[in-house]
Amino acid sequence: MKKNTLSKLMFLALSATVLATACKKEKDDENEEELITTLRVNAREAGTTTTTSFLFRDPDGDGGAGPTRFDTIRLAPNKTYNITLEFLNESVTPAENITDEILAEAGDHQVYHVPAGVNITVNTFNVDAAGLPLGTTANWVTGAAGGFGTLRIALKHKPGQKTAGDAITKGETDIDVNFVTRVQ
Amino acid sequence: MHTRRLIIIFWILMAQLGGTVVQAQCNHRLFGRVTDADTHEVLQGAVVTIGALRLQVLTDSLGAFSLPGLCVGTYDIEISHISCGKVAYHIHLKGDARYDVQLPHAANALADVNVVGSSGSKGLAIGGQIKGRALEAKRGLSLAESLQEISGVSILQTGTNIYKPVIHGLHSNRVLILNNGIRQEGQQWGSEHAPEVDAYIANRLSVIKGASTLRYGADAIGGVVLVEPRLLPAVPGICGELNLAAFSNNAMGVVSGIVEGNLKKHPAFAWRLQGTAKRGGNARTPQYWLANSGITEFNFSATAGWRMAHKGVEIFFSQFNTELGIFSGSHIGNTTDLITAINSGRPVDFYTQQGFTYAIDRPKQVVQHNLVKVKAFINTGKASRLNVVLSTQYNSRMEYDVKRFQAVESGPQLDIGLLTTAADVVWDHYKGEKWRGTIGTTASYQANDYFRRFFIPNYKSVNLAAFAIEKYSTGPWEIEAGLRYDYRSLYDITRNNGANFANQNFGSATGNVSVNYKPGPRWLVQASANSAWRPPQVNELFSDGLHHGAARIEKGDQTLKAERANGLMTQVNYQGKRLVIEVTGYVKWIDNFIYLRPTYPPQLTIRGAFPSFLYAQTNTRLHGLDALVQYAISQHLQWSGKASLVRAWNLSQGDWLIQMPPDRLENALTYTFGGGTRWTNNYVKLMVTHVARQTRVPASGNIEIMKPNGSLEMASDYAPPPPSYMLLGAEAGTTVMMGKKPVGLVFTGTNLTNNRYRDYMNAFRYFTDEMGINVAVKVKVPLGKPLTMH
Repeated sequence: MKKNTLSKLMFLALSATVLATACKKEKDDENEEELITTLRVNAREAGTTTTTSFLFRDPDGDGGAGPTRFDTIRLAPNKTYNITLEFLNESVTPAENITDEILAEAGDHQVYHVPAGVNITVNTFNVDAAGLPLGTTANWVTGAAGGFGTLRIALKHKPGQKTAGDAITKGETDIDVNFVTRVQ
Repeated sequence: MHTRRLIIIFWILMAQLGGTVVQAQCNHRLFGRVTDADTHEVLQGAVVTIGALRLQVLTDSLGAFSLPGLCVGTYDIEISHISCGKVAYHIHLKGDARYDVQLPHAANALADVNVVGSSGSKGLAIGGQIKGRALEAKRGLSLAESLQEISGVSILQTGTNIYKPVIHGLHSNRVLILNNGIRQEGQQWGSEHAPEVDAYIANRLSVIKGASTLRYGADAIGGVVLVEPRLLPAVPGICGELNLAAFSNNAMGVVSGIVEGNLKKHPAFAWRLQGTAKRGGNARTPQYWLANSGITEFNFSATAGWRMAHKGVEIFFSQFNTELGIFSGSHIGNTTDLITAINSGRPVDFYTQQGFTYAIDRPKQVVQHNLVKVKAFINTGKASRLNVVLSTQYNSRMEYDVKRFQAVESGPQLDIGLLTTAADVVWDHYKGEKWRGTIGTTASYQANDYFRRFFIPNYKSVNLAAFAIEKYSTGPWEIEAGLRYDYRSLYDITRNNGANFANQNFGSATGNVSVNYKPGPRWLVQASANSAWRPPQVNELFSDGLHHGAARIEKGDQTLKAERANGLMTQVNYQGKRLVIEVTGYVKWIDNFIYLRPTYPPQLTIRGAFPSFLYAQTNTRLHGLDALVQYAISQHLQWSGKASLVRAWNLSQGDWLIQMPPDRLENALTYTFGGGTRWTNNYVKLMVTHVARQTRVPASGNIEIMKPNGSLEMASDYAPPPPSYMLLGAEAGTTVMMGKKPVGLVFTGTNLTNNRYRDYMNAFRYFTDEMGINVAVKVKVPLGKPLTMH
């Protein structure tokens, strides 16, 4: 009787153990969903078909190895450039174009283009459904040639918070790349 | 027939003085003898208490006690002994009564601990505990918040839902938590991973400070937390307890119940069911709501035990479930966002204007912990006992981040599962009155799997250990010495992308010598010297990535060696008639202390540059003081003061260690008063807590901070430690007879002046103020009939 009780309890414990281990989940691939590894700035000189691309690329994401490519943006003076930004996840093959997802949820996102110490004026952002700036495309107007400055491109995520005239500090930063830039 | 011995047997010999006439005089006497249920030895020094009358006597050398001067009436009487369990009875006293009690021998009883201690689970370890009314006042709070009541224990916080205990400045992997005798095996390394323990399971929470015990494992160089349920009932019948708690700040409600019983036909068989449900909404600081700070919890456990005098077995299953919201405004993308949040002084309106809700959105954590254990013991001869404990636990942790795109699938970003199976075999032995000892071995196997984002690798682990502890008592002296060897092997260490890491093996010894000296009945002096070690954990060895909440990149180092902690600790206790003093002093040298060393330059990512940290080792010295003083100003009024000081010094670099708890001082005035027969155990308590500013932080680091004058400074933190603060609290409790049931009521209030403050040990101090005023009521209703004597 006593032995019976003991063995019954042991059996219970064992079956619980088996149950606990039985429910194994499937392992996802390593990559973080929604990862953005690459920012490509395509600059087409207005009225031409000449496009130059400038890249920031960190294929293994945050941490790990550092970025493998970080271009300097070089533009000609006194011209207008039609800028198109591409956001890519190149950690997977084929590379995933995240730009489409940003466009699909344009009302939650905004891209800021902030020149500093360089003679560039930014205008004519594309807009979301509410008419608020989105900024995946823009025009850059260069002035006279000068020294090195920077052009910061920041993608902000602000679901439900996007309003007219938002400061760059609002929302959560998804992308923040400060390209060394020169008009020459 | 065996079973008879187990039951607590008592006789009452009534010497009726007035027959049926009700006696108004208070001249009755309750007397009897207390013996050990197992050995039938008389127990000297057992404490017999009638709480309502504040009456307490000790049994003499023959185990006898006598309580004269009692009125006719009903009393709750409690009998306990230092090496035994505690029993409580509800008695109707009609005249002089004899009341003989056999106490279950808890010190080596099955229900007490995993690796059961001949010299008590804690041996001569130095520490503190919280139980009884003090614990009732903490009901509804998390485990760590409750433990903070013990001097020397502080908390590491992430927002309003995640609390971890900190003992003498050390936490996470350096603090072991024993849930009902089993090492809690979750993802303890994470500072934002709270222990997956239902605090309602315990009727006593104990803390062992430092490495003054080696029974539970090598890692415990900070200390050990014991979550101890009461013993299974030894008396036939079914009874229980219902606990309710409601909190004003976040409209949190808690329901927790216990039902337990003992079969009449088979009194050796006892069982218990226990469950807790908790739901809280958004918390409120004095000025704004904290969006998405709700919490839900649902836990249950079942215990069944079968116990004879010489053998027994117990099975325990528990499940812990929680879903907890992380304040939305704490989710930041990069260091610029963090500095913007710090400089703005309060979260942006979007987060503060969301008002109250119970709904929990991303970011959030969903955690489940399952535990099953089986304990068995058999007496091996007259003076020894063999204990076997088997356990298996599975911890599932899922963390949901804010999604960048709504369209993306709705799974968690981080998903880790940890399976642990362990076996302990421990042999307790006695030799005469003077020698007691325990020899044991323990083995465990672990398998960790992650399913999505990499943070720590998949791995398997085997841990083996053997230990021996012997205690010798003579006169006022007790001496205990222990030795333990642990071996840990980490293997099959992989990433889901196919990468493999080299196996890691660690092994070393832990030793401890403790001395207790009782120079007189009022004094107890304890001293302990110990040497313990801790192998590096997987996150310290392998992590590589962005720590989102902390806005920094953390990198592991596979060449890390084990930490070695050599410590000295002493505690002096004085129990006077009016004055109680308990002072603990300690110093601990930790060689190869593993910490996050700032590196430069910051690491560039697509989100901007992040400060980078590397797990590195240094030699450190921690020392400090915990003090507790109680003074009875009058029969009704008592003052108590508590202080905790920690100093943590990086010896190799000649600088302070970061993130150590600041000095803390607590004062309380308690007024107890009578309220007739209906209202008993009445008290009112006022509390003032003062927490100093932490000024002992590293002078410089790798974080660029722009000073007001525009110059850049390399600081060790994004923001300086917050200023000191003072909090006012109050508590009031009573036991009221509702019909025949004594219902316990406790009202508590924290941060009564609705102070705005931030705490250095809260990771969210960058973003938000702490919780504002919080008033709570806690109700305890006994269920069923407590054992009644006529």
